[in-house]
Amino acid sequence: MGAKLGSEQLGKLYTTGKTRRRREWRGFRDTFYDFSRWLSIMGMLTRFLAKPHNLKAFFRYRWMSNYVAVPSMIDRHTVGLRGKHLRIAHLEYDLVAKDVAGLLNNAFKSDRRCGNDKKLSQKCVILDENEMFAIMCGFPNLKAVSWETAAVYANVLLNGAGVTHYLDVIQEMGVPGDVCPMPAAEAGVVIDDDFPIYGCCAISCNTTCDGSLMGNTIMDKRYEGLGIPTFQIAAPLRHTEKGVQEYAAQENRNAIKFIEEKTGEKWDWDYYFACMKRFNEENRLRKEWMEISRTMYPQVIDANLTLYGETAYMAVAGRAQAFVDVDRKITKLARKAYENKELVCKEYRHRALIWGVQAQYYTDFLPWLQNCWGILPLVDMLSCVYLGQYSETDKEQAMYDLAKIYQEMIMRNRTHGGYEVLLDDMFKFVDYYNCDMVILWEHISCKALDGMHGMFEQRAREKGVKLVWVNHDLMDPRIVPRQNLRDDINRYMRSIMREEPVDPSLEVIDDTNAW
Amino acid sequence: MKDLKTLYKYEKLLEDANNELVRQASSEGRKCVGNVCFQIPEPLLNLDGIFSVRLRAPRIGGMGMGTYYMTSFLCEYTRALLERAIEGGYEFLDCLIAPDGCTMINRCVENMELLKINSKEDFFYKYLEVPMKEDENGLNLYVSQCKEKILEPLHEKYGCDISDAALRKAVENFNKVCRIITELGEYRKAEFPKITGTEFHLITMATYVCPHDLILPLLEETLEEVKAREPDSPKDFAKKYRARVVLAGSEIDDVDCVALIEESGALVVADRFCYGSLPGRQQIILNDKEDALTQICRHYLYSCQCPRHFNIDAIKKRRAYIAKLATDYSADGVIVEQMKFCDPWAYERATNTYTLREEYKIPVLSVDRPYNVGKSGQLRTRVQAFVESLEIKKIQSKKGEEK
Repeated sequence: MGAKLGSEQLGKLYTTGKTRRRREWRGFRDTFYDFSRWLSIMGMLTRFLAKPHNLKAFFRYRWMSNYVAVPSMIDRHTVGLRGKHLRIAHLEYDLVAKDVAGLLNNAFKSDRRCGNDKKLSQKCVILDENEMFAIMCGFPNLKAVSWETAAVYANVLLNGAGVTHYLDVIQEMGVPGDVCPMPAAEAGVVIDDDFPIYGCCAISCNTTCDGSLMGNTIMDKRYEGLGIPTFQIAAPLRHTEKGVQEYAAQENRNAIKFIEEKTGEKWDWDYYFACMKRFNEENRLRKEWMEISRTMYPQVIDANLTLYGETAYMAVAGRAQAFVDVDRKITKLARKAYENKELVCKEYRHRALIWGVQAQYYTDFLPWLQNCWGILPLVDMLSCVYLGQYSETDKEQAMYDLAKIYQEMIMRNRTHGGYEVLLDDMFKFVDYYNCDMVILWEHISCKALDGMHGMFEQRAREKGVKLVWVNHDLMDPRIVPRQNLRDDINRYMRSIMREEPVDPSLEVIDDTNAW
Repeated sequence: MKDLKTLYKYEKLLEDANNELVRQASSEGRKCVGNVCFQIPEPLLNLDGIFSVRLRAPRIGGMGMGTYYMTSFLCEYTRALLERAIEGGYEFLDCLIAPDGCTMINRCVENMELLKINSKEDFFYKYLEVPMKEDENGLNLYVSQCKEKILEPLHEKYGCDISDAALRKAVENFNKVCRIITELGEYRKAEFPKITGTEFHLITMATYVCPHDLILPLLEETLEEVKAREPDSPKDFAKKYRARVVLAGSEIDDVDCVALIEESGALVVADRFCYGSLPGRQQIILNDKEDALTQICRHYLYSCQCPRHFNIDAIKKRRAYIAKLATDYSADGVIVEQMKFCDPWAYERATNTYTLREEYKIPVLSVDRPYNVGKSGQLRTRVQAFVESLEIKKIQSKKGEEK
């Protein structure tokens, strides 16, 4: 126990209950810092619940109770970290928590069942959880509010079993259990009538997969019944082809026109370009973090890269200066740590590319990889998005940029677009990041990934790449419990690699009931 | 009813993807274009010098290799096709044109490409971006994709005439097939139909997998035979069938599926599924004001019943279409089926079941099924129970009327 990396057996912190035995001791300075951030998050939660509409929502919506686990979720993702890496992680998660709190506050304040602020509701546009929010960059007076993000996406991060009830609901309705649980859970929330009702219109999108597309049809039908009109953006699937770009741009023009008609607001070019300027800077900075990961001293890696990226890239998309400010701070810390050759964890044994769709109920699997086996999760598929620059002045080009953003949103840029972007690119990234191992998430209900299963193996054998499958069911830990994910790695490391864990206490943990 | 004399010929044609008529056309030097979905407009694949075959995997056994490459979570249609492809069953094709329709069919064809399942030197694959909404923007995309991915490659590779006149001629030939199928299908509206659902399914399916010009004489012969055919007497009919149903859902190319339903007492009077005639065998009516390609694409875009069309109007239209078929064909109920592991139909089946029951008040049987139903006792029991429930409903409504 102390300031030194790996000075404590982390597995001993686990109990069989929801929470851990105690907070991790990281030496006085880091523990004090970490505890102060914990207090700050608790303060934010208290202030959030002090608002009557939020308190009412807390008791109205079944999934809201999981939000008491926010501090625990941050603890899970900062486990084992010290010094600058601990600060980088807190900068990220604390801001994400604040952003989600803002989202929830808007949702409940305008919710017909809670705050019922009609004026605010008229300014809210509902967006998909898996959808880029960039279309809202042209509407400074409107609020993009995605209840799906709060009720499903973030909820499972807080409590791994947070949406199992909704999966049961949708299956009772007749949807089979083999479809992707994320859109299924979202549809389940709708069928269960457990979502805040607000908004002047909705923009849905054919995001990552057929399941997501079809889940939207249930939501859109419900919105219609509630008098909330919906526009469906049909972004092309073969997004790398020139021939589809005009169609894609026109879809966005039509969506903008729809928002203008329904809200009475006008697309604001100045605001859009200001957002793109921020977005571009964020992309430049994120690219720098990922470039550092090519070296022997990676700094911004694992879930800290993925989860923060998902919020900043997808849900914010340059609309908030706070994210740029934090990005700058992170870059400064990462540069310094790199210069000092600081390590993220105790021992570096393998450099891994994480590919496929992550287990949403176990995103802290990546810190586990580095702490238990010394496997560095350098970069993951969801972070491998287009990080180039978008036009900050050209209005004509902007529509094509927006089209590109929508076509190549997180995950979608790999699940659609042909095997080239999923299969071929994986091996390109293996070379680019000097990886000796690929951890391939086998999200068992993800048809896009499953459909390439054999070719991944075949190609890996041909190229001599160590490929480890990790099976999961995205949002349903009842199907594949967390320990099964760990066992996939444990088996491989012991049987194939003939290695002993860096921290043996983490190899088998009873966290079935943990948040 | 007497057996159809020509039926065994259709059965024979459906036993093998590379059937007798396909072999005949290939031996004449015509190129065979493989296709896997309704959303690739068929007339464009049936120009002079080429013909289309929609892929099936008849008499498929195990799917071990297909399952290895795509896991057991992908629908069996795609796994069966890949299995057959790896076995060498599609060597007779000269190219394969597929839409990015559902993810699974896309991955299936991609695996074929990566595994180089066809050894012909100039073999090529094309993947079409097909629209997911019914609007003018989608139509423009459809037209440009058909030009870029179908017509131009066929012209460059095989020298096909892709002029407007050639497309109109292809539509005319396509319509000849559709007219016969439609005429045969109309007989199913009668109280005692001259053709069963099983027979109709076999005939319709054969038109998807054979060169149109070569199967046309057989279709004409069948039509004449059916015209002259005496339907079952009411007594005989009642012995075999206790209910009339619309069969709606995902892909069915299994020769046993409709037969099993009918053996269980439900006459299939309308076929609203891929490989069915509604809407796959409806004529394309062209005008002279607009180019043929745009009109063909519009026909396919607006008649498509695939659940991947996700705008609200399309969703409502699909359900209304099934309900209308139930009325037009005097069906007692609807069987909504889904190939197991099919994502689009997983949702569509659940929502269709709910909507048809609750909003249209139509009795529905909701089932998922494997690619080959064979003699599935499970499905048979489900259909039998459904038929019984329909009969009980009839009795109860009669009693209600009497009161």
